[in-house]
Amino acid sequence: MSTLPQMPKSWRLESKPHKFCPGCGHGLVLKALGEAIDELGIQDRVAFGCDIGCSLLAWDFFNVDTVQTHHGRTTPVMTGIKRANPDIICIAYMGDGGGYAIGSQHLVNAAARNERITAILVNNCNYAMTGGQMAPTTLPGMKTETSPYGRDVEQSGYPTQGPEMVAAITREGAYVARGTIANLKQLKSYLKKALENQMAGNGFSFVESLASCPTNWRTNAKDTWAFVEQEMPKYFKVGEIKNPAEKGDE
Amino acid sequence: MSVALKTFSHKGEKGYWTVFPGLCKGCGLCVEKCPKDCLKWSDQLGVYGTPTIEPEMDKCIACGICANVCPDCAITVEKNK
Repeated sequence: MSTLPQMPKSWRLESKPHKFCPGCGHGLVLKALGEAIDELGIQDRVAFGCDIGCSLLAWDFFNVDTVQTHHGRTTPVMTGIKRANPDIICIAYMGDGGGYAIGSQHLVNAAARNERITAILVNNCNYAMTGGQMAPTTLPGMKTETSPYGRDVEQSGYPTQGPEMVAAITREGAYVARGTIANLKQLKSYLKKALENQMAGNGFSFVESLASCPTNWRTNAKDTWAFVEQEMPKYFKVGEIKNPAEKGDE
Repeated sequence: MSVALKTFSHKGEKGYWTVFPGLCKGCGLCVEKCPKDCLKWSDQLGVYGTPTIEPEMDKCIACGICANVCPDCAITVEKNK
């Protein structure tokens, strides 16, 4: 009978239980990513870069080469590694603060240059590590520490729709998709396609994943699933936005 | 290895169900996702001192959804052949 947990092979068992909060969506995104790395058999070629914020807790998550960078600077660091050695498969892993707030210039410029890296962005609607402040992705009317009466779209504007933005500025060969932790099979297929797109050398691959944050949403398990499955996809539409494999349907 | 891989296993008609209390943080995501509502809170404590879970094996169909949605891979389910 089984005595070992059924983890992806690329996970590092010594660092488990991992450092994320109970119920955190990062664990599920990294599980899907680990399974995608296992299935492609690229564990020895991956360089994994994590950002500041909750995503930095993934620094000892995998048995792959990992670098932890300045806030928002994961994309250019991975771009540099890719340019120095194109055989390495570079994964830039960031949260919505690192991708859409302080790191948006790097994300936008890497996408516009069509750098051959994979960026994975975990969207949990707030700045979770600092206590749940309002982020670029906070939903209209959603209560956070710095928007106690709910996000006022008159004052603070509407949330950033990152994959749509990246899809609009990238050229041919880019892969852009938005997955959710409520559908892990789909999320895994998106991550796999994004890695394959990089391995084929087509262009920039970007996957955003909707994720949960029970600690800062102050929700129990039932409300957490309800928010991830019903509230978030109303504004953030799940699906593939740009896929170089499907041509001619414009 | 930092994890003491203590296990609590339950044998049922459909499969063999195991939880690792050294990995379980007691988030409860699996309890909500169980299609048969057969997971309940256990007297055993997980790694954060929160209750871990245990199944009612007469209702469990060994579908493995609890193992899939666990962010910590604390559950394994083996189907009987």
